[in-house]
Amino acid sequence: MTAKGKKGFARAKELYQDRSQRAKELKAEGKKVMGYFCLYPVLELFTAFDIVPYRILGDMGEPITKADSCLPTIVCPFIRSALDLGLKGKYDFFDGVVMCHSCEVGEKAAHIWRIYMDPSYYHFLDTPHTVHEPAQQQFKGQLEDFQKTLEALTGKKLSAGKLKDAVDICNQQRVLVRELYDLRKSDPPLISGTEIIEVMVALMSIPVNEGNALLKQIIDEARGRTDGPQKKPHRLLLWGTVIDNTALVEMIENAGANVVMDDTCVGSRAYFPMVEPTENPLDGLSRRYLVDIKCPRTFREAVYGDPKKHYIKDLEHRFGYLKDYAREWNADGVILQSVRYCDIHGYDTPGLSDYLNHIGLPNIYIEHDYSEGALAPLRTRVQGFLELIG
Amino acid sequence: MHEVFRDHPIREGSLIYFAGIDLGSTMTKVVIVDRDGKTLSSLVGPTGAEHRRLANKVMADALMRADLSFDQVSYVVATGYGRINIPFADRQITELTCHAKGISSLFPGVRTAIDIGGQDAKGLKIRNGKLIDFVMNDRCAAGTGRFLDVLVGTLGLRIDELGEISLRATHKLPISSTCTVFAQMEIMAWLSQGTPLPDIVAGLHDAIANRVGKMVKKLKIEPEVVFTGGVAKNIGVVNALQEYLGLKVSVPAEPLLTGALGAALLGKELTLKAMAEGKPIHEKELRLAESTFFHTENH
Repeated sequence: MTAKGKKGFARAKELYQDRSQRAKELKAEGKKVMGYFCLYPVLELFTAFDIVPYRILGDMGEPITKADSCLPTIVCPFIRSALDLGLKGKYDFFDGVVMCHSCEVGEKAAHIWRIYMDPSYYHFLDTPHTVHEPAQQQFKGQLEDFQKTLEALTGKKLSAGKLKDAVDICNQQRVLVRELYDLRKSDPPLISGTEIIEVMVALMSIPVNEGNALLKQIIDEARGRTDGPQKKPHRLLLWGTVIDNTALVEMIENAGANVVMDDTCVGSRAYFPMVEPTENPLDGLSRRYLVDIKCPRTFREAVYGDPKKHYIKDLEHRFGYLKDYAREWNADGVILQSVRYCDIHGYDTPGLSDYLNHIGLPNIYIEHDYSEGALAPLRTRVQGFLELIG
Repeated sequence: MHEVFRDHPIREGSLIYFAGIDLGSTMTKVVIVDRDGKTLSSLVGPTGAEHRRLANKVMADALMRADLSFDQVSYVVATGYGRINIPFADRQITELTCHAKGISSLFPGVRTAIDIGGQDAKGLKIRNGKLIDFVMNDRCAAGTGRFLDVLVGTLGLRIDELGEISLRATHKLPISSTCTVFAQMEIMAWLSQGTPLPDIVAGLHDAIANRVGKMVKKLKIEPEVVFTGGVAKNIGVVNALQEYLGLKVSVPAEPLLTGALGAALLGKELTLKAMAEGKPIHEKELRLAESTFFHTENH
């Protein structure tokens, strides 16, 4: 893959620790590197144009010093951190950025990014917040526009065939991630929650085809490994906001549990939904990205009559997939985690907690500041939760 | 090096003891119990920056009071926020579980416990002596012992006189409970207006009761309610909490010690269970603390 020769887990760790190394190498070879924010800028489009997609993340270990002059301090600390890194020049190697209306703060930060960083290429996807038919049509239109701007940027016209190939490559990645996640089903799991984050961050820092090669190495390595995680008294499912740093999961795993499954956007949420092959690939793509990605940023109306009377039924409709995760990965508890001030996850938490209580799955809600140093008080909560579930 | 006898098999009927050590943010507490769960000695000392040395000291003093040597203690459970810093402990268990255990041993009918310590406040929901749910304050220590610690300075009072003084209040002042610094500014304003101290102190106690009470209400409070932690020694806060909750609140004779007591009792349960099952009691063959423990004492 690279001249340096590290493979599998070691390579993922290397990329986790120094995210931009491969993207910068590719840039030096003449490729375009595009920063994108959140899950909605369609990876297939970057891939079809041979552009290196690079997810914009924050850094829990880096104090936020510059972003506070352009964003309020009482908003999502992850987005503040990501913007802070941008302002500090850590993302200066981008040839452009694609932002989206992920949530309110994401939208504001996107425009602030444009003003302060002034990227030579900038595109904003105004992702709808509902999933009904007109919203899907609107999103498809957004993707058509996005494609046109990329055509203008690269001077290349995109054929349906090329886009279909990109869909295949990206779907391959999704299948491989599922295969990797299947290796967490055994007890002990073959991959720790901490390692999963390293792998996921690595995937979001390199081209999709390179990610696929890396995933294959990791899956082979994990299958044959003897140095995997130890058996622990509890197996947990982790739900919530973006986790792009190992510190929180490490703290949980040191408290006496293996994190065996997740529903976060640097995890299964980003990879589990597949793109259905359609005549016009944009139909399958708009459906997959808008409807099938289950992020609380998208509002889903109650579908079962009277929301009060059919509360549990509606919760089942919204969160039933988590019951399946818990069953398939044999989790005995759920950690609901959120960075402070995340409204969208905050709105989903009470209902989700009610649902988990209803199906008898112990759960705890923890909120953190997206800072490595501020995790200590959470240790007592997590350990107390593990003692409580026995 | 000190010789260690503790890992020798314990015979049925022999005299064995269990210690719980609760290393809180402000105070370190030790309780030693016998195999019937009876408290033989207990001790409270300040937690300093040097957790380990002071944990050793408080432990050694407690042993001396009980006329025991460290060898005679079969199992040590550490709890409290500094629990991971205690090298001579066999096991660490959170203060949530330990408080629930300790409080239930004193008040078997307890269903809700409120603990306000030096830097945190927690609510525990307990059923049949077992912890079933909990809430804790956030990172901010407003509404905890630290809140009072900071504000007594502004008032020129001692922490232990606050309770009595508040009883003389004729009019409770509203004081903001969200932030210690805000509260401090408000107090300065009241003082400059010549407001009587008892009214200010009573307002502070109300602020704590509101903040902690609101948090604990998330657990759907049911009686019997027990209030522990250093702040439970303050009669003013006890009254304010009763008023806020509209329920009688019981306070143990030694509200600081319930965590350490629970830790000792949990250690006893773990040991007796292991003995009954014929399993080894200690996972580690020799705890690294033994030597440091006694040597530190001699210096």
